[in-house]
Formats: sequence, C-alpha cells, structure tokens
Amino acid sequence: MRSNSTAALMALALSSATAIFQAGPAFAEEPQKGGTLRILGSAEVDRFDTIPPATSDAVNFQRAVWRQLISFAASADTAEQVKAVGDLAEDVPVPTNNGLTYTFKLRQGAMWNAPGGARQITSEDIERGFKRMCNPAIGSPHLTYFENLIVGLADYCAGFAKVEAKVEPMKAYIEANDITGIETPSADVVTFNLKTPANDFIYLLSLATAAPAPVEVLNYMPDSPEYRTNFISNGPYTIESYVPDSMLRLVRNPAWKPETDPLRKAYVDAIEIVAGVQADAAMQQLQSGDGDMLYDHSIPPASAQMLIAQGDEKMSTVTTGRTRFVWINTVSNNNGGALKNVKVRQALSYAMDKAAIVQQLGGPTFAKPLNGIFPPNVIGYHEFDLYPSKDAKGDPEKAKALLTEAGYPNGLKLKMPYRNIGSDPALAQTIQESLKKAGFEIEISPVPPADFYPRLITNFSNAQNGVWDLVPAGWSPDWPGGAAGSIFLPQYSYNGTHGTFNFSDYNSDRANELAAKASATTDAEESVKLWQQVDETVMADAPTVPLVAVYTMLYHGPAVRNFLPYAPGGQGDWTNVWLSR
Amino acid sequence: MTAPATDSAPAVVQRGSFELTLRRLLRDKAGLLALSFILLLVAFALGAGVVEAWTGHSAFEQYRDTGLTPTGMPVGPGAEFLFGTDGLGRDVMVRLAYGARTSLTIGVLASLIASFIGVSIGLVAGYFGGWADIVLGRTMDLVMSIPVLLCALALVSVFGPSVILSVAVIVFFSWTTIGRVIRGQVISLRQRDFVQASRSLGAGPVSIMIIDILPNLSVPIIVYTTMMIPNGIVFEATLSFLGLGIVPPAPSWGGMLAEAASNSIYLVAWWLIMIPGAILLITTLSFNILGDALRDALDPSGRPTRKRRKVSKS
Repeated sequence: MRSNSTAALMALALSSATAIFQAGPAFAEEPQKGGTLRILGSAEVDRFDTIPPATSDAVNFQRAVWRQLISFAASADTAEQVKAVGDLAEDVPVPTNNGLTYTFKLRQGAMWNAPGGARQITSEDIERGFKRMCNPAIGSPHLTYFENLIVGLADYCAGFAKVEAKVEPMKAYIEANDITGIETPSADVVTFNLKTPANDFIYLLSLATAAPAPVEVLNYMPDSPEYRTNFISNGPYTIESYVPDSMLRLVRNPAWKPETDPLRKAYVDAIEIVAGVQADAAMQQLQSGDGDMLYDHSIPPASAQMLIAQGDEKMSTVTTGRTRFVWINTVSNNNGGALKNVKVRQALSYAMDKAAIVQQLGGPTFAKPLNGIFPPNVIGYHEFDLYPSKDAKGDPEKAKALLTEAGYPNGLKLKMPYRNIGSDPALAQTIQESLKKAGFEIEISPVPPADFYPRLITNFSNAQNGVWDLVPAGWSPDWPGGAAGSIFLPQYSYNGTHGTFNFSDYNSDRANELAAKASATTDAEESVKLWQQVDETVMADAPTVPLVAVYTMLYHGPAVRNFLPYAPGGQGDWTNVWLSR
Repeated sequence: MTAPATDSAPAVVQRGSFELTLRRLLRDKAGLLALSFILLLVAFALGAGVVEAWTGHSAFEQYRDTGLTPTGMPVGPGAEFLFGTDGLGRDVMVRLAYGARTSLTIGVLASLIASFIGVSIGLVAGYFGGWADIVLGRTMDLVMSIPVLLCALALVSVFGPSVILSVAVIVFFSWTTIGRVIRGQVISLRQRDFVQASRSLGAGPVSIMIIDILPNLSVPIIVYTTMMIPNGIVFEATLSFLGLGIVPPAPSWGGMLAEAASNSIYLVAWWLIMIPGAILLITTLSFNILGDALRDALDPSGRPTRKRRKVSKS
C-alpha cells in the first residue's frame, strides 16, 4: 500500500481491499456523534480533483468528499466489502440490450455544496464528469478502460486532445460536444451504451474518476489552486482549510443529508489529515491516543510483531489484492537472449523460494505464497502451482536441470535493480540468495524510489537495451472484487502498441481470447472458470514469477469505534467511525 | 669496571628522534589504548575469513531456519550467533568482520589519496604563491563551500553506487583541509634560510619542494592523514546508510545500520544498532585519539604545559 505519486504504477493502484478482515471486538456502545478524527501520514493528500492520477491513499479522502454512481459499503464482512452498491444511483441496474445498456436512476436529495446554495446532482453532472476525463491538461489514469467500453468516448477524446489546455477552450469544448454513448433523457436518469458487454463496467463506475462534476468546475484548470479554493463537495465532508504539506481539515458539508446516503454515517464532526509524520512517530501517537488512524503509512513489520505479541486487539489485517512478483525481461538480448527461452523462465519459477519471501515480510499473517497472476479474492484466483516445490521453498535441482536443458549448465548472470525503500532491499537480497542456489548469479542495484517506476521500469527502451533482466514489482487491482481485468489487461495483454505496465510486451493470443470471453459473459460461474484458465495460460509462459499476495495490517487509536474497512481505500472508513474519548 | 665517581651521576643516554617519539607515544595511555584497538580491528578485518571458518557462517548466507524466527524477526546474541543475526538471518559478527574490511580499506585508501592530493596542491600553492595560490586557494574554498551530502547524493544517483565512486566522493571532499594546512606551512617554510641556501646552490623548485620542504611537513601530514581516516569511515557509513555507498549484500557498517533502521527492526533487535554503532564509534574515537597522541609525540612543543608543571613540582 505504500505508494508514491511519482510511481505511476502505484498511482494506478487503487488497492482493492477484498477479503479477510479479522474484525476487531464488537462494541456494544451507542454510536456517538462529534469529535475530530486525526489521520496521520507522511505525504499529504495529493489530489483534490477526481480526474488526475492520485495515490491509492487518496481514495479514503475521496470517500469523504465525493460520491459517484456506485460504491462499496464499509463492512467487516468480506463479501459485503466487495459488493457494488448504488451510491448516487438508487440501485445497481441489470444491463439490457444484451448487456450493452446500463440505465441509472439518480438518488433525489443528493446535493452539491454549490456557491449559490445546495443544488441537486443531475444526470448532466454525471456526463460532465466523464467529459472531463480526457481534458488535455491532466487526464484520468483510467481513461483507457472507459474509452474501450463507452460508445463515442474515444471520438470525443480524440477531438478534445486537439483543444488548447486552457480554461476557456476546454470549457467551450465540453459545453459544445457530447459523448454519444452517454444519454441524459431526464435530470434524474443517465444511460450508458457500451461497445461490448463487460461484466466489470459496474465496478469501473466506483472509481473516483467517474464521479460527477458540477458546472462551476469548468471555470478552473483541473486541480489548480483555483479549483482547490472553490472546492465543491457532494459527500458528507468538505474542505475547511488546507496548509500545504502540513494539514488538511475537513468539516461537515451543509448540503449533504444523511437520509440520501446509505453508505456513510458521518459520525465525526471534522477530519484532520496531518502530513509529515514518520511511521514510528505515527504508531506511537496512535498507541497514546494522540492520533486516530493512519493515512499512507503501512505498519512497520517490527511494530506489527510487537502489537501481535501484546495481543493488541486494535490490530487487524485486510487483503488489499496487492501482489508482489518478479518481472522477467524477454525483449533484451542480454546473455544471447536467454530469457526469451521459456525453459529459463520456468527455471526461475522453480528456483524461487517463496516461503523465504513470506518469512521476510513477517510470516503467514502478512503474506501468502502466490502462484498465479490473480491474488486471493479476485475473480480467477484458485489454488494451482505449475512450478511446485516442497513448502513453496523452491526447487533448485529442478531449476538447474531446466537450465542445463536450455543450454546454460553453468548458470546465468542477471541484472536486477530494485526500489530502495521499505522492505524492498531485503526482498531483493532474499530473491538473490534463493536464485543463487539454482545457479543464477543476480547482480542487484538500488534505485531511488522516485526513479524506479517512472524512469527505469516504465521506460521501454531500458527493457530493450537490457538495462534490467529481472525487476521485483508490485500491483494492486484498480477496483475490488471483479478486478481480474484490471490485472490482466494492463500487464499481460498486448495489442500492438507497448503498454506502460506490460514491461516486456508479453502476449498470449489464447489468454487474450479467454479474457475477452470472461469479460463478456453474463454467467458469473463461467466468468470465474475462464479467468482461471487465463491465469494458467499466462503462467505456463512464465512471463513473471509471482511471489506473494500481501495482507495489509491496519491499526487505529484507542478512541476509534466502528472501524470497518472500506475496500477500495484499504483502510478503515473515515465516514463510518465514531470517537469515544 | 665503572668508576665510582660516575655512580652518583645519572647516566646520560643519547636517544634518536624516533626513539624519543616512541617513548612519548608509549607514555600516552589513551593513545596506546586507541592504537591497540585499531590493531585489534585490523586483525579482526584481516581475519574475517578465520571468523567465517570459526563460526561456520558465511557473510552472505541467510540462515532462515536458525537465524530467523518463523515470522522473519532476527535472533539475538547467543551460542550460535555470538552477535545475533540481522533482518535477513545473516550472522552479524561475520558481517561486522567483512564490514571492517570495507570500512578500513575505504577509510585508509581515501585518506591516503586525499592526503596525497592535498599535500601536492598545498605545496604548489604555498611555494609558488601568486596566481597559482589564488587559483588553487579559491578551488579549495569552492570545494569547501559545496554542500557535501547533497552533492554526494546527486553524484551517486547519477553514476550509481559503487566502491570506487564512494572513495572518489570522500577524496573529493576531504583533501581541502590538509591542503590548506600544508599551504600555510609551506608559505612560512619557503622564507626560511635552508630554502634560500638550497636555492642559492642552484636547486630547482621541484627539488626544493620535495627534498627540502616536504620532510619538514611530515608531522602535519602524518597527523592529518590519521585524523582523516575516521572521517572517511564515517563518510562511507553515511553514504551506505543512505543506500548510496556499498551495494548490498556486500557488508558495510553503514549499510548494517541502515538495514537496522529500515522497517523499525531496531525496535525488536537492539543488537543491530548497538553492535555496529558501538564499533563505529570506538573506531572513529580511536583514530582521533591516536591522531592526537601522534601529534603530541611528534611535536612536543605543541603539548599542553600542565604536565611539565607537575613534573617540576615533584
């Protein structure tokens, strides 16, 4: 969950907290209103606007100030956590027209905190949100998903790309043009027409980027200082004050009415998000009660171990759907193109000591060995291992045999840069040591975190020129639950143009075909089966070596009650906790 | 047979300058202690292979079954791991020994190179004066005014971390101190009669600098070079601590401290901070004390007079 606005990969990763949540003790107390919730973080909330790419941590802020058509309930129940429910939409519609048309009825009484007083959110506002997605100033990181699905959006965006990135021309374009696939027959009904059936379209609408936009925001550049000072919220909270790199204070939004919002109870009166607190200090403040919750910190493993040892019941885990894996470079000619040979890649898969990675991350409470591209509780996950070894400790003998078979009896020398932050250096050394047993000599080199994804890994020429042979990477699905597509499409499919996150242009026609079927089918069970086949097909080619699925540890201060995880944010829901001081 | 007349008079022994220096050095308890620690450390570093053989642990192997708990926490000092294990289950003692090699090599190497550069430039600037002095003197000022850490970080992030770069960075930022001292000394030395004598005998500038002036600079050179070693060691540790020095898994003291600090592992494993930290502290302290002792021994005129008074009273 550690993410960095500069690390594009992580920015995309709106971690989806599915699954196991060891719920804290049930409090029989009456909910209390009032108080100020103090959230501690190292970085500040990086984006106030819904459109530009934001860190995954900002999702919790968005939950408090924004509402979109679809969202998720904060719940201790793992199934409920990932069940898409209506937020601004009255309910989740069943698609008509062979799965191509979705019609939403908007909830009446849901208001904008507009400068001229509270104003009903209309279907026009919904469409305006989609129009802003491809503004030429700062576009949405999720645009491709929507462009591939919504009729006319790609054309609309192609036209918008030619517009000058200034307020007036952008406003004029948005007001003059329409997206053909989004219809607004009346103020309270909005209809989406899709190019192909997509069973994950509903989940896509839960992204903040699909939130509506009030007409006033067209007068400002996206997320500009003017946008921020004239912030118009539609959630239970709005911004009262903001001191850059220091504190963001949210207070109640007068236009929000509790009876129009089934998902947020909004018990606390104010929320303060304090930036610039180190992880150790934040944990101490939480333990002493000076702070209530964490913003972007993950709990340091050593602290977590201590809390577990003390039996602290404020500790809990959540599966964020986050995975760690090693990407293999198949486009360079290093070692005579050795890694293009599937046998060599399979040898790497056999050699990997996944148990050591689990141990390094803190044991089975923190991580679980992973053998496919999908983490537990994402559709398509199932128990299988094409490269089995005893206790997941790796099989160096088998790896050596494969390596010899491939023509490298003396082993291989490979370059592996790693992100020099948190547990990554330790993991890199663990990987190095485990591959050594099978004859791979791994040369590791630290890379500053700010450079790792943007400069080194997502720059395709580095892969082609053999700057790296292996890279340890991570991924979190963009939305919870039916998120197989958000893992497979950006990373493991190739349509002729290089995709940012498919680091070495991996392609499998069979997997693509299966995935297309899996996305289109309306039969949930069939979809699951197809995604499972996708996973196995990809793994047979071994483009990556999956390492582990990571469980995120959560912790909160003693005053916090009703701490229920909000799946997309991978944290307790700010809008549903109450304080008992 | 000795004459009875000489019995009562104290024997006069003629002592060379080296012997005098040695005697002064041996009288300095702190200096002696520092020297013995440094010798021990050198033995520890040279004998890293012996330590490895004795413990049976390599500096790189991760003892995941015996050196780590099932939840990945390091094991404290005990029978199998005398100084405990680190966050990856490696033997801290063996890594400390190999880390000593790294630290000492880099510290000594960087100090020698820096001292060579500093002395050469100081000599030239001081002897020739004029434009040479202005250019070289301003260069020294310039180097001294560069924010050290910031520049080091930038350099390392451009070229990537390596031992050679670490040494280069340390050398670049440490030659100026000795350079200035030497320049000052040379300016005063070149006015002296023996230099004039040499010159009148027809000696050229190079010959005067090397044959006449340099031997007179031996004291500051020895003292300042010794004092530079701890700086080099700490600088290397700093770079490694920031992840910009020695590339893991090669052991270095700064790297060991960095690994202890990351992920708050020091909260549960005090030995990861205390042991390398203490050794780093004692090492730098020893070199500093030794440098002081050497100065006192080589240049008794600069010694504090308190001791003399004591002697005269008794």
